[in-house]
Formats: sequence, C-alpha cells, structure tokens
Amino acid sequence: MSETITAPATTGEIAPAEHHLLEGASDLEMLPGELHPHPSPFQYVMIAVVLCVITAAEVGAYYLDKSVSKGAITAILVFGAVAKFFIVTGWYMHLKTDAKIFRRFFILGVTGAFFLFTIVLLTLSGLADV
Amino acid sequence: MAQVALPVNHDTDAHAIEHDHHVPSAGVSNTKLAMWVFLSSDCLFFGAFITTYLLYRNRNLTGPTPRSLYNIPFTSVTSFILLMSSLTMVLALAAIQRGDHRRFRVWVLATATFGMLFIGGQVFEFTEFYRQGLSLRTNVSGSIFFVATGIHGLHVTIGIIWLLSLWGMSAQGKLGKENSEAVEISGLYWHFVDVVWIVIFAVVYLIPT
Repeated sequence: MSETITAPATTGEIAPAEHHLLEGASDLEMLPGELHPHPSPFQYVMIAVVLCVITAAEVGAYYLDKSVSKGAITAILVFGAVAKFFIVTGWYMHLKTDAKIFRRFFILGVTGAFFLFTIVLLTLSGLADV
Repeated sequence: MAQVALPVNHDTDAHAIEHDHHVPSAGVSNTKLAMWVFLSSDCLFFGAFITTYLLYRNRNLTGPTPRSLYNIPFTSVTSFILLMSSLTMVLALAAIQRGDHRRFRVWVLATATFGMLFIGGQVFEFTEFYRQGLSLRTNVSGSIFFVATGIHGLHVTIGIIWLLSLWGMSAQGKLGKENSEAVEISGLYWHFVDVVWIVIFAVVYLIPT
C-alpha cells in the first residue's frame, strides 16, 4: 500500500504532523532486509553453549579408542562440523531471520564449492604421487 | 520550511527514513548483499585450499608431516577461543543496535582480543612445526598446510584490524546506532572466518587419514 506524506526537503527536520510515522518506525529494531527479529543476547549465549558441547564431542571423538572404526569417527566429526556450520550461519549470521536472498547467494556458493571440489577430489585422488 | 511529497510504504520506507538507509528495489541493503556475495565466493577460495590439502596430505612424505606434529589439545583451545569470539561479536552487534556504546566497545574489543589470541596460537604452532623440521619446503603436505591455515590467519588478521577500527570510531563518537549495519557486516565477515575454521579444524586436524 502506498500513500503520500510530506517530509522535509533539505533540512533533515521532521514535520510535526508526521512524527507518529517516524516514531513508530524507530520502535522497531529490524532494518531493511530483516524478516524476523534477531535472537536475544541470552539466546546467543545458549547457542554458544551448544557450539561448545559439539566442539567438545568432536575433540572427544578424536581420542576415541582405536577399536572404533575410522569411518565412525569421521562420520561424527563431519556431522559436528556441519552442525556448527549451520548453527553459526543460521543464528549468528542471521540467515534464519534475514531476507531469503542472502541465504540463496550463500547456498549457491557453498553447494557450488561442495560439488566442484567433490568432483576434483574424485578425479584427482587416484593420481600417482607428484 | 520547504517540503516535498514522498511516497511511503509503511513496511520498509519508514525504517529507511529512521536509519538513513537507501533501500534498493530488492528491499535489502546493497552493502550487506555485496558482503554475502563476497562470502559466497570465499567458499570457493577456501574450498580450493582444503581440497588441495586432502589431495596431497599423504603424498611425498619426506620429513615430518603436519599430522605427526599436531598438538590437538592446544589447537582445541585456540579453536574454542575463536568460537567464543563469534559470541562476543554478536553481543557487540546487539549492544550497538540497542545504542549501548560502552558495552559495544567492550564486546568488540573482546572479539579482537580473542582473534589476537588465536593468531598468537597459530604463530606458536607454526614456530613449533618449523623447529621440528617442517617448513614450507619440507614436503607438499607441509606446504599446503602452511598455506591453507596461513591464508585463514590472514583473514583473521584483517578481521582484527577491521574490529579495532570500529572500536576506534566508536571511541571517537563516530559510530552511532544508525551505523549498526557497518557492525553487522564486519560481524558477517568475522563469523565466516569462524565457520571456515570449523571446517579446517575438523577436516585438516581431526579427521583420521
């Protein structure tokens, strides 16, 4: 919906009749491009606790008994890294709350890199020593 | 007072007036979008180094390899420090969005300090490796290890300089609540550096060969 209001042309002052519009905007914390409010500081701290727990589990997996297969350890480490990756990008970098265009650009880069370098690894890993 | 008629969309334009942001047709900040495009391209940049490490880690093994010299407890502590710097970064952003400049300076300085501790740890690690006979020229595995983690360290160093610049601007009163987007963009860069380390720590240091 579009309507017309009057606003100061050059001085930067606010016309008294329009104060209510600008005051209403200043009450909102969100900037253009943000779809939902960002997490609160308490939520940020809770997210950090989760990240620490996952990191501790990763380091613990590294020291698992040698009887545990390398495949299982690798799976735990990859899962931990992927989980931390999505937690940081989703909450700390606000991809979950910001406009979807940011998410699309980032996913484009991440998936592009993943597929490109998977192909490179599969193609070149069989080559002899250089 | 001269006045001019402006069309107003209540959902976005009122914010633009309040925060003095130019809202392009996409409805998002151009600067923030540019940072996301840069970070997207940086995924390919770091992906190339990590892939090269995976390709060459078991080849041409003359002399010590990085894997034989890793000090996992030490690197775990520096990784934890970098992870916590992401927390202090978001707390700095939340503080400046509230207009709490004192706390913003505390958190942003804490973030930069954590970053410096991480870089200090990396310098210590590189020095230890060199003392034990692993240099850029020892073998391919060592070369790509130093280059990949060194490039990441360079990114962290750039981030530290950026954060200290923001701290200085805030201390001089040049960084107000209306400039919180500048802090958010530096935060995006900082978190990305953290995300890259999450991958490097798991793939380069922890995953068994």
